[in-house]
Order: sequence, then structure tokens, then C-alpha cells
Amino acid sequence: MKTTDNTLMAQVSNGEISKLAMLFERHHRALFRYFVSMNRDRDVAEDLVQDVFFRILRYRTSYDPGKPFTAWMYQIARHASVDQAQKRGGEVVGIAEYAGWHVEPASPAAGPEERASHNQSLGLLQRAMNRLPDDKREILVLSRFQGLKYEQIAEVLGCEVGTVKVRIYRAMRALEQIYLAMEKEKAS
Amino acid sequence: MTCDQTKALFADYWSRSLSGTNEAALEVHLAGCEACRGELDRLGRLWRELELLPAFEDAVEPGPKLRPRFYETLSAYRQGLESAPAPKLPPGPRLASLWPRRVAWQVALSCALLLMGIGIGFAVRSAPAESRGSEVAQLHAEVNNMRQLVALSLLQQQSASERLRGVSFAYRVEPSDSEVLAALLETVNHDPNVNVRLAAVDALHPFAASPAAREAVIQALPRQTTPLVQVALIDLLVDLKEKEAEPELRRLAGMASDPGVRQRAQWALEKLQ
Repeated sequence: MKTTDNTLMAQVSNGEISKLAMLFERHHRALFRYFVSMNRDRDVAEDLVQDVFFRILRYRTSYDPGKPFTAWMYQIARHASVDQAQKRGGEVVGIAEYAGWHVEPASPAAGPEERASHNQSLGLLQRAMNRLPDDKREILVLSRFQGLKYEQIAEVLGCEVGTVKVRIYRAMRALEQIYLAMEKEKAS
Repeated sequence: MTCDQTKALFADYWSRSLSGTNEAALEVHLAGCEACRGELDRLGRLWRELELLPAFEDAVEPGPKLRPRFYETLSAYRQGLESAPAPKLPPGPRLASLWPRRVAWQVALSCALLLMGIGIGFAVRSAPAESRGSEVAQLHAEVNNMRQLVALSLLQQQSASERLRGVSFAYRVEPSDSEVLAALLETVNHDPNVNVRLAAVDALHPFAASPAAREAVIQALPRQTTPLVQVALIDLLVDLKEKEAEPELRRLAGMASDPGVRQRAQWALEKLQ
């Protein structure tokens, strides 16, 4: 049977440092995507993944095995991200500079016009996401991209579950407003 | 239910985690409120479209250097922990009070301590190989443990190339490692990718000393349907000079659907005579 993240982290916490390798294999991709979604820079995202696992080692004794490992890891990831942003003086790489970022093509069955429209609409949504304020983008990233449950997000952000749900609604409204404004800009 | 109370349920509705009571209350409100209905619909569409963005799926992958960097850091951290000196404690006032004040006593005590030190040195030197040997053995066990973890982790990955890397890591663990052996056999029997299965068959060679491994290889043979893997397993059994495999080889020599496999099984039977 697969050993749970919490058990592995408890073992790391008790000095079995090598068990961190298993946690790295399970989570480094998701963490990388989280950082790319937040910072839009692959190199920075890789540095941050490295930093998170280093911090997990450093603070391993402070881990509470009764709490979900994933939430604890994302808490550390947020701190690492904030520290990194402060180091870079808040500099954020624009989406156009991120060459690896492109939207998924429409299904092959779709006609050329439909595919173009699908790609344009997703491209617009991607840019709208990038224009969202950090806190709103983050909650959508944690929920939609990282697949965290609302209870886990509440742990990560240190707030009530009800607050998470309301913040998600607000983030979606803000996203829609930006999306519609960009659509209007494009049409005019 | 007011419009504000309704909006607080939208997140649950989109993630399909709405409770039965709330769902009923939401439906009642939506039936009479066009504004909320429209908003739930519009935002819900965007919510679903977010899934199609590249960061959502596997489109964004870290570079190949991330993993080696992590393992280097982990290894360095472990070495640092092992070689870290014990924290220095300030000498307590009690210890200072034990030091004699008269010079003659100080010289005598120093000589006694020196002789004691020499004695301890000799005592330690008389049994160094054993303790050093145990340290090396411990270190060796830890390195093997780390390799085992990496191999097992990689063998569970979705990507076939990662699983291939896991197979190559399996060569670096102790051949007596039953967990890695079990993972390799699992790969031979169930991995969807032929190349990974073939590599796993090759990686079973170092485990040949284990009777369990030999038996498992014989049992794996009838489960295989791909001729390439069947031939690789037959070759492995010949290398291992495994006479117990003869009944299975005879069955394959007579009944295997692929002529190449039949021929190879016949050849193996001759070799094992």
C-alpha cells in the first residue's frame, strides 16, 4: 500500500531524511506548475521548487503530523514565493516573454474558424488570469490548477473555509470583468 | 435566501460539492432570480474553461536539471548533518571549581589527565576496524536506502521514460533488496510499455541469486503476450540455468503463437539439457 504523504513527512521529521525523495517525486511537478502560474518564469519556478524542499528539510521538526502535508507544503511555497518576489523587487515577467506558455489547441474535429476562435478565447482568458491581482490569481490557481480542496486552501491561506468560497466567487467575478474588458478592447 | 447568500454557494456549485439542502435552496432562489442565474451560468463557463489553460495539465513540465539538483542538495544536507560537530556547551562554574589552585597540584592533575588520554587512545586504537567498519556499513545501508527510494519512486511515474530511469536505478541497489525486486517484477508483468518491460527483464539479472526471483521469472513467462518480452525472459532463464523452467518452456515450444518464441523456447530447452 502507498505510504501517505503525512507518514513520509513524519518520518523525515524524525530524522529519516532520505524519505524526502519520495515526497519530491510526488509533488515537484505540481509545485513547479504552481510557481509558473504565479511567477510566469520557468527558471524562477525551478529555483523555488528547490527552495521549498530545502525549507521542508530545515523546518522538518515543526511539521505537525496531524495536519495535511500538502497544505503545509503550499504554506511554505507561498512564503518562498513572497521572499523571492521581494528579492527581485516585485519584478514579474510578462506573459509575452514566457515562450513556453501557449494554449491548448482545439479538438482536431473542429473546423478552422472554430479552432481559431477557441484558441483566441483561451489566449484571452490566459491573459485575463495574468492580469488578476496576485491574491485572486493565487486562490484560483490553488483551486483550479493544483486541485486543492477548499478546506486545504483554508489551511494554506490561514482563513475559514467560508472565506475561501467567497474569495473564489470574487476572484471569478474579477476575472470575468477583466476578460470582458479585454474582449471590448480587442473589438474596438 | 438572499442574492448574497446565494453567491456564497457558487464555489461549491462549480466544484460539485454542494450539500443537498443548499442545492435545493439554491434552485429555489435561481428559479426566481434571473440576475443570479445569469451570473452563475457565465462564471461557471469561465470556471470550466480554466481547466483548458496550459498550466492546468501536464503542458508545463520542469526542466531535466531540477531532479539532479534536488538529489545533490539532499545528499549534501545529509552529509552536513552527519559531519556537524556537537554543540559546544560553556564550561560550568562547577567544572572550573574542580581545577586546583596550587601549581604543583595543577601539574600533577595535568600529567594524570595526559596519561589517561594516552590510555584511552590505546584502548580506542585496539578496536578501530570494527567501529569504522560499522560506520561504513551504516553509510552504505543509507546510500542503498536512498537508491531504493529513487528507483521505487521512478518506477511509479506516469511517464515511460521516467520508469525507464527507475529501472536503470534498480541496478544500483543491493541485489537482495526485495522491494525493488517486487517492483521490477510488477513492471515486467504489468507495465503498459514494452520497452520498460524489456528493460525490467534485463534489470532482473543481478537478482538471480534469489530463489524467489527465479521462481517469479518462471511465473512471469506465461503472463506475457508480447514475443519480444517472452524471448527476453527465455534468454534470462537460460542465463540463470534454471531447469525448473523446462515445463513452461516445453509448453511455449509447442503452443506459442509466435514462431520466433517457439523456436527460442526449443533452443532454450536444448541449452538447459
